[in-house]
Amino acid sequence: MTGSITGLAWRSLRRRPAAATATFLAVLLGTVLIGSFATLTETSFATSGDDAGTLVIFGAVVGGWGAAIVLFSVASTVGITATQRASEIGLIRTIGATPRQARRLINREVAAIAVVAAAFGGGIALVTGRLLFSVIRSGGLVSDSVEYDGGPASVGVAALVVLVVSAIASRVAARRATSGPAGVLARSGASERGRMRWWRVAIGLALVGYGIAMAVITVTVTAHDDDPYAAMSTSGSSSILVGVGLAVLAPVLLRWCAAPFRLLTGRGASGHLASYNTARRAHLLSGVLAPVIVLTAAAIGTLMLVSIDTRTLPEGTPDSDTINLLNNVVVGMISLFAAIMVINAFVAVIAHRRAELERLHRLGATPGQVGSSVVAEAAIVAAVGVVLGALASTASFVPFAIARDEGVVPDGALWLPPTIAVAVVALTLASARFAVRPTVRGLARPMAAGGVR
Amino acid sequence: MNPHETALEVQGLTRTYGTDGAAVVALAGIDLTFARSTFTAVMGPSGSGKSTFLSCAAGLDRPTSGRVLVGGEDVTDWDEDRRTRLRRERIGFVFQGFHLMPYLSASQNVGLPTRLAGKRPDRKRVGALLERVGLADRAHHLPDSLSGGQQQRVAIARALVTQPDVLLADEPTGALDSATARQILALLRDCVDNLGQTVVMVTHDPVAASYADEVVYLVDGRVAGRMVHPTADAVAAQMTHLDDLVVAS
Repeated sequence: MTGSITGLAWRSLRRRPAAATATFLAVLLGTVLIGSFATLTETSFATSGDDAGTLVIFGAVVGGWGAAIVLFSVASTVGITATQRASEIGLIRTIGATPRQARRLINREVAAIAVVAAAFGGGIALVTGRLLFSVIRSGGLVSDSVEYDGGPASVGVAALVVLVVSAIASRVAARRATSGPAGVLARSGASERGRMRWWRVAIGLALVGYGIAMAVITVTVTAHDDDPYAAMSTSGSSSILVGVGLAVLAPVLLRWCAAPFRLLTGRGASGHLASYNTARRAHLLSGVLAPVIVLTAAAIGTLMLVSIDTRTLPEGTPDSDTINLLNNVVVGMISLFAAIMVINAFVAVIAHRRAELERLHRLGATPGQVGSSVVAEAAIVAAVGVVLGALASTASFVPFAIARDEGVVPDGALWLPPTIAVAVVALTLASARFAVRPTVRGLARPMAAGGVR
Repeated sequence: MNPHETALEVQGLTRTYGTDGAAVVALAGIDLTFARSTFTAVMGPSGSGKSTFLSCAAGLDRPTSGRVLVGGEDVTDWDEDRRTRLRRERIGFVFQGFHLMPYLSASQNVGLPTRLAGKRPDRKRVGALLERVGLADRAHHLPDSLSGGQQQRVAIARALVTQPDVLLADEPTGALDSATARQILALLRDCVDNLGQTVVMVTHDPVAASYADEVVYLVDGRVAGRMVHPTADAVAAQMTHLDDLVVAS
């Protein structure tokens, strides 16, 4: 029995390269990132003193954030691909597969992709880890005497962590996909609009609350500390915490926030469709909204922090370079992952809605109208995400600006938030266009075989 | 509505899929004329070309040869954009799977073709259509809170909103129980009798076909016979002897 499920998983994978690619990329990049930084930690074991400390911080801080982000992105990618197959899972259960077998099918598929991706990622990490180390050493963050000592051990551990994370993610997704009764017809309504669970609301609110509490502590306590970096240690992650908290609440926020944007999308058919789709099927597009919020919050929050720091402490302390490099690396990493997730999520959403978009075309929407309704949805999501993300970013830079005596509004680099906002909106719109293009092209061609169905 | 006497006409319609070696002939030359205010059922076994015929008539699929005339106008060589406008403005569609947009309310679904044409739907007209199909009190419900029969009623109201030359229905009762199916068929009949609509319905249900004025049988991509004023029993009997029909014609 077990063998036949594995065989089924394998055949299904070969027929579905697109869905597998998303999971593959998330696992691959996750392994590369965590693996490269893990080699720094391993190198630190062969060093001593300040150098060892610096390397451990790099490995632990960046590795820690990396693990959290990878968890988030692998979980959402696997989740989206599993949900996409709800009707197929329903079918194999109707013809006699137990929920257990259906779950095993999903888990085997994810495991197969993840093992291959983690192996590739580990190989790449061995090279990038060495590169990373030489950058850090040539930057003078560790002394020239330190030798690179990373290897298969640390990369192996990193790969294992990513594999465990994706296994957990796939189990959660599989459980959700098989929780209902068996049936061939995907119940497009009820299951799709599902309310958010109480624990999800609780986690979201807790993260937002924690981020705000850290911001308050920055202003009231750490701002008066002798160490100029005490304020940064409390406020630095606030924007990301609040951002992730809002991202967890994304479905509800999108439902609420899409309404005002209805006025902006105009009276055209595309805008009309887009505004109702974003509001009434917020759960679908919340997969896109979540990374947009986190990306905006992390980028604006952290980069503003770095600019305030370099402005108010021009001389710096011995730690300044390391700290700011760390900040930039974290931002870079989060941005990269969030950007990939925006694209991933859009591709998954469009794949999920392919039949619906074709239907729209049959009812008389031109391929152009179909495409522009998707881009209009992206515009609403981007606008909501950028506003919420910018709001979350203030949890970092406002308290830090107060702590460094710049007041509520920082003294400089005010061009940063709008620039980042424009970049994020451009990324979101480009992803939507990229994701919907094959569908629009398909519609523009007269139908092939298949009839009216 | 176009005043032309013929709502839909196909002349020498053929459709071949694939290339020479492995070509599959779906339609092998069909001539049919559907007069205004008539209800025609197109029947035939699986693979007889029913769905291909409907796709070609709707401009979703391009015939290999032959002509398609909607309201007396030859639309065969129109490009994709013009054919899209044709579907939007002059052809109403009713599908087996309803095909409502899940995130639009009943009245928004009915107004959709008008929206796509870049106009604002006429509230009164949408309301009147929903009333006609018996769903005046469900105007603001989303599809997932409507039963299958109610969803199909919304789809029929949507198909009627532009006063199309012809309403094409593809197994409109295929996903419904028999009692609900009869209501939907009565509604289609009502569209013909009281609104002057023209309905062309593909089906393989003899009961559904009995609501039509005439049944056209397709076998192997050819018209194999016709039956005027069909009854369910006569249609069922005919369906079991389709092979004889082919020989006879």
